[in-house]
Amino acid sequence: MPNNYPQVLFQNRKPDRITTLEEYQQSGGYRALADVLRNYSYKDVQEALVEAILLGRGGAAFPAGRKLMTIADDAPFPRYVVCNADEMEPGTFKDRVLIHADPHMIIEGMIIDGYGAKAEKGVIFIRPEYESAAKILEREIKIAKEAGFLGKNIMGTDYSLDIVVHRSAGRYICGEVTAQLNALMGRRPNPKQPPPYPTEKGLWDRPTVLQNVETLANIPHIIRNGPEWYKSLAKTETGAGTKIFCVSGRVNKPGCVELPIGVRLSEIIELHAGGMPAGSEYKACLPGGASTRYLSKEFYDIEMDFEPLRQVGHRLGTGAIMVFDHKTCLVGATLNLTEFFARESCGWCTPCREGLPYIRDLLARLEAGDGREELIPMLQQMSKHLWSSYCAFAPGAVSPVESLITYFEDEVRDHISQKQCPFK
Amino acid sequence: MPNIVIDDREIEVPAGTKVIDAARQLDIMIPRFCYHVALGSVGACRVCAVKFVEGPFKGVQMSCMIDAKDGMVVSTTDEEAVEFRKYVIECLMLHHPHDCPVCDEGGHCLLQDMTISGGHGIRRYLGSKRTYRDQYLGPLVQHEMNRCIHCYRCSRFYQEFAGYRDLGVMQSANRVFFGRYEDGILESPFTGNLSDICPTGVYTDKPSRFIGRRWDYERSPSLCINCSLGCHTVASARYRQLVRQEARYSEEVNGYFICDRGRYGFFYASHEKRPRRALVEGEEVAYHQAIDTVREKLAQISGSAGPEAIACLSSERSSLETQAMLKRVCQNKNWSGPLFFMEQSLAEKVKTATARLEPGLTVSLRELEQADFILAVGADPINEAPMLALAMRQAQRFGGRVVVIDPRPIFLPFDFQHLPVRLHEVDLYLSLMIKAAVDRETATELGPSAAEFYQTIPTLETAAVPLQEQIATLAQELRGCQRPVIVCGTEVVPQTTPALAADQVLLLKAMDKQTGLFYLMPGANTFGASLLSGDDGSFSTTLESIEKGKIKALIVTERDLFWKYQNKQRLERIIEKLDLLVVLDYVDSETAQKSDVFFPVSSLYEAGGVFINQEGRVQVAPKVYLGGTPIKQNSGGGHPPRVYGVGIPGSEPRPAWQVVVEIGNGELPPDEETAFATTRKWLAEGNPVFANLPPIDQFPDDGVRLGPALDVGSRFSLDWQTERHPKRNSDGLELILVDWTFGTEELSIYSPHLRQVEKEPCLSMHTSDAVRLGLSSGDKVAIRFDGGRVEASLCVAENMASGVIVMPRHRLLEWQKIKELPRIVRFEEIEKVSV
Repeated sequence: MPNNYPQVLFQNRKPDRITTLEEYQQSGGYRALADVLRNYSYKDVQEALVEAILLGRGGAAFPAGRKLMTIADDAPFPRYVVCNADEMEPGTFKDRVLIHADPHMIIEGMIIDGYGAKAEKGVIFIRPEYESAAKILEREIKIAKEAGFLGKNIMGTDYSLDIVVHRSAGRYICGEVTAQLNALMGRRPNPKQPPPYPTEKGLWDRPTVLQNVETLANIPHIIRNGPEWYKSLAKTETGAGTKIFCVSGRVNKPGCVELPIGVRLSEIIELHAGGMPAGSEYKACLPGGASTRYLSKEFYDIEMDFEPLRQVGHRLGTGAIMVFDHKTCLVGATLNLTEFFARESCGWCTPCREGLPYIRDLLARLEAGDGREELIPMLQQMSKHLWSSYCAFAPGAVSPVESLITYFEDEVRDHISQKQCPFK
Repeated sequence: MPNIVIDDREIEVPAGTKVIDAARQLDIMIPRFCYHVALGSVGACRVCAVKFVEGPFKGVQMSCMIDAKDGMVVSTTDEEAVEFRKYVIECLMLHHPHDCPVCDEGGHCLLQDMTISGGHGIRRYLGSKRTYRDQYLGPLVQHEMNRCIHCYRCSRFYQEFAGYRDLGVMQSANRVFFGRYEDGILESPFTGNLSDICPTGVYTDKPSRFIGRRWDYERSPSLCINCSLGCHTVASARYRQLVRQEARYSEEVNGYFICDRGRYGFFYASHEKRPRRALVEGEEVAYHQAIDTVREKLAQISGSAGPEAIACLSSERSSLETQAMLKRVCQNKNWSGPLFFMEQSLAEKVKTATARLEPGLTVSLRELEQADFILAVGADPINEAPMLALAMRQAQRFGGRVVVIDPRPIFLPFDFQHLPVRLHEVDLYLSLMIKAAVDRETATELGPSAAEFYQTIPTLETAAVPLQEQIATLAQELRGCQRPVIVCGTEVVPQTTPALAADQVLLLKAMDKQTGLFYLMPGANTFGASLLSGDDGSFSTTLESIEKGKIKALIVTERDLFWKYQNKQRLERIIEKLDLLVVLDYVDSETAQKSDVFFPVSSLYEAGGVFINQEGRVQVAPKVYLGGTPIKQNSGGGHPPRVYGVGIPGSEPRPAWQVVVEIGNGELPPDEETAFATTRKWLAEGNPVFANLPPIDQFPDDGVRLGPALDVGSRFSLDWQTERHPKRNSDGLELILVDWTFGTEELSIYSPHLRQVEKEPCLSMHTSDAVRLGLSSGDKVAIRFDGGRVEASLCVAENMASGVIVMPRHRLLEWQKIKELPRIVRFEEIEKVSV
């Protein structure tokens, strides 16, 4: 079934190439910026985003407008706006698609967000594997600058902003806000526990507002069409806007789709991802990347929105849905994910640095059929301890482990009693 | 002030106190690895977890990361917290090699303590252990990465606290590695602190490896006498050998750390060549025989040529007791002296500094860390007193500005502004900056002499000097700061600088600033020497008297004449000329070797002693051990020793002051407390500043800062104006003799380990001078001095004054051929040596 929902972020998406500046402008691009520069104070931008209930799309779902508001009026200059394009959450590829689809939408969003922060310098922090995306951004930034949308006195006003593209050295933890700022300053990408928050003391101790690519891409549309329109896009009362879902795993048509916030999981899988292959039965999915909890069959119809998921103890995360069928061993899948997190820990705090490899070791034993009954409470206990880590990395990393035991304890026990993986 | 309840006990703490520190005030020691008071909280190790029961935070949280707040109720014994801490320790032990039996940290290892007390005893982890390749980090610190628990203390100390970059963190996840980018000697002169702060055995003290467990050692608080700061140490001895020194916390002086010169500078005390028997004409004799010989010869000389034919020379490294006793004996016997300085101009500068340290101006090393503007004049902290550089770095880290006015190529481990001006310009630049920061009205309020003093300083505009803009900007900053400190050296600076620095501090103080004055002095007890030093005579007149035959005997206590004197030939001649040279020392110096009668004396560690540091802080070093030849030296390393005899072998050395008393036919006091009490009483008669010193066993840890020690004399002198020699030497370079961190200090050069970290001595000159001479860095050059050629390699530097040539008084340079000082080295006296 074709996707009949309104396409906002993907409105100019083409199968084979990016949207040019001209095409973007024809679709209404940079009109929001013109409007903002002419008619908005920086406070107005903040209020518009708050009113639209624009929540951060990078996984943490922090309200974008409120983030801007935490910059004190008398905060020092220069201020920075950072676009987080360090997309490395397993299963997530929406930012890459978005950059390849419509780079100017992100640039425009970033300028408006920068205006809302009175920022004069912008940085796009991009994953090094996204070299083609980085080149596109560099080229399009230059084009935007030549067209007067960037640089000194944007569109003849007294607002100025420059954007540079910075390639990360390439670690998952660089996607974490404070780690990313440390990386940008040439330090080790260790997270830094607030306070002070980056909007108070970020890059070089100056106010810095950091947003995900998708979050920024939403901003021009909110300005152009108003918060009410934006809220009306969602299928749920609590939600607003659309969401790009990256569907992967056991589905017939994996890929990136833009759907209203609040669309049901079942609909995404069955309609927009082409359903599951014949003979495959839905067993579970990770709804928002590797650091969210498995959604078992009982949540198959859940509305994919931040709030409904939160109420049942889950997270929407990045909206990267990884689907597992009844033939997939979730112990093995969890081991695979834990492998990733154990490798990507920055190594700053003990529970994360040593605890994740420990958990990986236990899962590997279970998967290999070397498990013992007492490993299950050990896994539970250790996962709980990892919540007392330094940053949000480790709690995210143990989400699959915890939900594995919550929903699939029998499967784990089968590994122990059969002394081998029952799926092999 | 917030009130907090920890384990059912209430305590009020200042706002901003972390819960871990609040607990400590209740004597509850919450486990910690990454947390260190000097390095601050970072929340990395997670072992300080406690349960927050009431208040703004709830549940298991890190006590190092949370400020104590009103209404907080905290439990350190809560089951959940205990369980979590146990888990953290289990994690830390996953890859630990469990090699405590062969680890030098074993016995004083925080990880060992926490593992035991945390209750982690049974290994559950079945995986294999991670291993690392260790690195060679130089002769001072041993690296053993497998023991690492990744607390990040080392890199935080090394990079953040001390400002060096060649050791740090590499890799990520559970492969995080602490070390250098490649094997090599650590560049920082503060590396020994790594062994102190490492909570386990990753960095251990290399020179004392495999020598003993902490409980095997005789350990005692002690003091460092390798520069004038008087840092606090803990000294450890085993089998009659001094084997290790660690930093001892001092609230006022050094904080938690010490420099490597201080830490590893003690090897003279147990040196194999240390003389332990009295010598008469090079022959070993019994102590009393030597005393009798000296008394007899002195009586002869006194009888034939008068008592003034006997001269005494004391030392800046001697304890106050020894200095005072020598003076007392001299006075009783009417001998000449004692002199405390070999260089008269230095004596005068130090005396000025001592006098000008008025109460209210003096700052301690720790107080200096609070400064928001430090102006260092003629001081090279890293080379002259390394811990000063560390203190200045702390000031700079917290936003303070550091400016150095000095001709030398100054390096400091942080950003600072260097005004590289010639020595005779130092006073002018200091004055220009202060004048630009101080209002005329303020100066006038201080009285007519201050007003005139201020008036005669040229303004920046009229002075028309280079660097004018830089000075103007800095002066503007100085004007806006609250706690400025002037640091003033006493060695290379012109005669007038110490007084001028004090006057400028007074002007700043009048601007309603909390102003500080901090002098550097050349030796551990230079302050004491300056208090006791009389006005009669100088070393050069003594030399002349010896040459004329008026002085026939010289008694030298704990000093090597050759160490800091620029004319070796002359010294050799006068020693020839003397009828009697008596030397008391604990090192086998050149002077000792040339003596007629030699007395071995106890080192600081065997005798203890009172020392006054450069801020006038009187501090006591207790005895560490009884003395004697190290067992391994007289038994070939075997144990028990196969040498039988009465008493401890090699224990003949006794405190220098006792030898002095006996040479002067005096009666020894019955015990040391009486001795100190008598000395103090006698000192107080000469200078009331000593009257209030407590008895020696009641000295506070941080010593006692002396009140006004000498008469301040005239303030706001205009001498510096007339003393200036503004003309440039167009045909030569002004020679400046300097100290280096390693290789120029008299005692630490006996350390075989420090010899390995010494840099090759080199001469420094400015690029423009090198260009003129056609020389470049690395060239081997020779300077023709009156006493012969001195060869060294050349370092060409941009960050120093032109018109000067800087030479370290390095043990590997024969700089004593210079003969006359001050000295201009003419261009034609410098030549390139072809290799």
